[in-house]
Amino acid sequence: MKVLLVSLFHPELVRGGAQQVCYELFEGLKATPGVEPVLLAAVEPRFAALYKAGARITGFDNRPDEYLFLSRGYDYWWHRCTDPLLLEAYVEFLEMVRPDVVHFHHFLLFGVNLFSLTRRILPEARLVFTFHEFLSICAADGQMLRRTDGALCTRASNVRCHQCFPDQGPEQFFMREMWMKRHLSVIDAFTTPSRFMQEHYAGWGIERARMHHVTNGQRDYSGGRTRLAPRARRNRFGFFGQLVDNKGVWLLLRAVALLRAEGFTDFSVEINGDNLIYASEARRREIEEFLAAEEALPLEERIVQMNGSYQVDQLGQRMGRVDWCVVPSTWWEIFGLVISEAWMFRRPVIASDIGGPGERIRHEVDGLHFDVGDARSLADALRRAATEEGLWERLSAGITAPAGREVMVGGFLDLYRGGSGAVAVAAAVAAPRRR
Amino acid sequence: MSDEVLRILAEGVGAFAVEPAGPRPGAADPDAYDPLDPGTFDEAAYLRANPDVAASVARGEIDSGYRHFLVHGFREGRPTGRTPIEPRNRLLRAPGAAAAPTAEVAGSCDALIAGPDGSVMIVGWVDDAASPLESIRVTGPCWRLVLDGASLIRIRRQDAEAALGRPVAHAYGFLGFVAGEPGAVLSEFGPCGVELWMANGGCVSLRADCRMQGEVALREALLATLAHADFLGNPGIERVAAMEGGFGAQVVRLNRSITDRLVAAPYLERFGPPPRAGGFRGSIVVCLYGKAEFLAVQNALYAGLPGIEDYEFVYVSNSPELGETLLRDARGGSRTHGIAQTVMVLAGNAGFGAANNAAARAARSGRVMIVNPDVFPLDADWAARHSALVAEAPAERTRIFGVPLYYDDGSLMHGGMHFEIDHALSLVEGAFHRRALVRVEHYGKGAPPGTARYLQGRPVPAVTGAFISADRDWYERLGGFTEDFVFGHYEDADLCLKSIEAGTAPWMHPLRLWHLEGKGSTRLPAHEGGSAVNRWLFSSRWAARLEAQGLLGAYPSHPLLQPPDGFDA
Repeated sequence: MKVLLVSLFHPELVRGGAQQVCYELFEGLKATPGVEPVLLAAVEPRFAALYKAGARITGFDNRPDEYLFLSRGYDYWWHRCTDPLLLEAYVEFLEMVRPDVVHFHHFLLFGVNLFSLTRRILPEARLVFTFHEFLSICAADGQMLRRTDGALCTRASNVRCHQCFPDQGPEQFFMREMWMKRHLSVIDAFTTPSRFMQEHYAGWGIERARMHHVTNGQRDYSGGRTRLAPRARRNRFGFFGQLVDNKGVWLLLRAVALLRAEGFTDFSVEINGDNLIYASEARRREIEEFLAAEEALPLEERIVQMNGSYQVDQLGQRMGRVDWCVVPSTWWEIFGLVISEAWMFRRPVIASDIGGPGERIRHEVDGLHFDVGDARSLADALRRAATEEGLWERLSAGITAPAGREVMVGGFLDLYRGGSGAVAVAAAVAAPRRR
Repeated sequence: MSDEVLRILAEGVGAFAVEPAGPRPGAADPDAYDPLDPGTFDEAAYLRANPDVAASVARGEIDSGYRHFLVHGFREGRPTGRTPIEPRNRLLRAPGAAAAPTAEVAGSCDALIAGPDGSVMIVGWVDDAASPLESIRVTGPCWRLVLDGASLIRIRRQDAEAALGRPVAHAYGFLGFVAGEPGAVLSEFGPCGVELWMANGGCVSLRADCRMQGEVALREALLATLAHADFLGNPGIERVAAMEGGFGAQVVRLNRSITDRLVAAPYLERFGPPPRAGGFRGSIVVCLYGKAEFLAVQNALYAGLPGIEDYEFVYVSNSPELGETLLRDARGGSRTHGIAQTVMVLAGNAGFGAANNAAARAARSGRVMIVNPDVFPLDADWAARHSALVAEAPAERTRIFGVPLYYDDGSLMHGGMHFEIDHALSLVEGAFHRRALVRVEHYGKGAPPGTARYLQGRPVPAVTGAFISADRDWYERLGGFTEDFVFGHYEDADLCLKSIEAGTAPWMHPLRLWHLEGKGSTRLPAHEGGSAVNRWLFSSRWAARLEAQGLLGAYPSHPLLQPPDGFDA
């Protein structure tokens, strides 16, 4: 079976969950007898050195079966590839590879019109699309957060979307929905890494029968280093991820401020991540001002420490410095790879109670939930975690090992062969549980 | 000096020095002005300005004011009372500028714009409350033009009211326009004399810099000025009514000149598969303006539906700046969806009617389907049903027909059109005028989507140009869309009325499509000005006929518009 994986970005070039999962799948398929995977990763023109003159699809750094789709002229409103020469190059690539399965991860930088084009060129191929956010539904970067007040959005409508984009009339969103659904109509199977996503997409009009849950899976990066030395208090918290608004590091800092104001300071918070430049001006300023004020305190009074970005191979060292992981995302966090990574090291997770974290973390069993977007609720959870005797040990013991790469690969292979993709997954992944 | 003058002078005034006979500068120019020339002397004006002479002529003491001027008046320095006597609304060439008369009342020329074809637009104001503005003479470097006062649009100018200290209800402002002559070439611009002549012989003499603009820019400026103009009374009514004095006809002339030139040399390129054996069943003609994205969106939303493979698309763009994008998207769209399509790009905005007619000429089927860019299939099988309908229904029911169109909110947008007449009242020079303006109404606008009476096949007075399916021969026999309308509006109703007069009523057939009304193009101030011209044009052509032929109202009495047997109202 020849499988073409079409990915947003290459994880070697740009870090991110969707491309990381796609690459894990690529490597997993490579290790599977009888499967020939080919990776086509889209890049954007800011990687100018990779845009060889006259080239539209090229190899990548001498890696077998890995290619770059040199995106250009991308239409960010309609999410389409507008360059006819790039379309022709893609057609030629399809005709050369002749895949039995084309599996799209995301569509940013290559466009939804490639779905229709693929179907036209390969009418017999099985087309699979993995949703990594809600970009098909939501023009606001697929986040489903109201631009008016940052509130969580539960459904799109012509008028509601117009309220988020006042310069676009309701009709524009009507067309956008028709446009998206037209191109999605050629997909044989949709997958989501979390079950709650299917409710959003079903509500939007995707047939449930075409949606399948296949969990994200990763290699185990822990190398067996899961044990922590005994400590009297489990009061060290870690944030791992991007410092953009929706990941909620600002909320964590507000919770710290609340606890400090109450006189509770016997805990520490370590922040691991970067991309603060992509945060909104207001959030960036809030974070920078907090960190600057923290830096000005005497060493013994500091609670928060900024460690900066990290690579996967540094995870063990970073995780070794904390007892808990905090996932304070303020949007519908789709899956939360960081939860899997925390679980690899048997660190309980304190997370928002919606989206992927809400679904994956079992409150009081393997982690704690707090009310999404509520700094008070998060502060209470932190204080309890830092002070309640035996809590950490109980929750850590309740952690189930996250789905490994082989589970994900098994799920997708089942789907490629016409199954539901759930056979292998069901045994390994717990059903959604909410508190 | 003419022989007639020499004869009179010789007879009457020996003291006058007589110029020797012979050629004089400019004598060969029949339009040159000479106050001593009986051909250009204004007898009436002279008598009006010199009542004692008029009385003398009346008593038979002297045979004419002209003779009096030559014998006495010239020497006495009598006013000639000269008013423009040139033919109105025609550009006249002269070797030199005429002397400007002395200003007598307040006025201003705010803008003077001429086109290379000899079109001239003038904007300003004058205090003519005492005696109305009768004409405007513009004297350019080598040309002159007199605009008839009746063809001017009179505009309310609150700035002029303030300047004059007279906040009274009087339209001090004016907007004048005369379209150029075919083949005319004007290249002399710059400082010009502008004389505003009042009916009582009073005159304001001004200087103005004449700015040159191309025809299209001139049309934009003219229509935008019209759109922004303020009026005494209801602006919506008065703006349309103001077209009647000749202004509207001049705008139509300019517009036709532009349109004819633009559609004469389009760029055309075809994409996708060639016509199937037996040809296409229909050509979906889409006129684009200002927005290119609709081509890609329509490609995606029409492609792949049952029966659509029997149809081609012909996109015509009134926005030349979109040409490159459209050609690119058409190439990509045909590659992605396998549809046959043609892109025609015009060098400017030829308007809805002319552009669609040009695109229809490029169609490769016997059926022309006019479709707006913001119309999309609601019924997935609409194309297959359209083909079946045309093949099976009686020919008179499908020669020209429309379909129900729906808003994005699900309610009915269009179930056919009918006509009403608005009788508007306006006060002109102290007298009431009753004006008949035709209003186009849509059956069932905003109705629940399943309202049966709007979804049944039936004849209607007109259907919207957002979707018209017409037998090509019939369309051509009707002359296609009338191209006189500026930019676009009323062409659909006009086409349908032409069809009724030719013996076939438009029909509605229940093939449902979406219509995101008004979202398929951008709208500029000039379009508002064009709408006023169009409403005047449509009303002046059809109002009386609609009334006389029983075509008014939601249930017209016209014999072709009676519901068919079995119609459930």
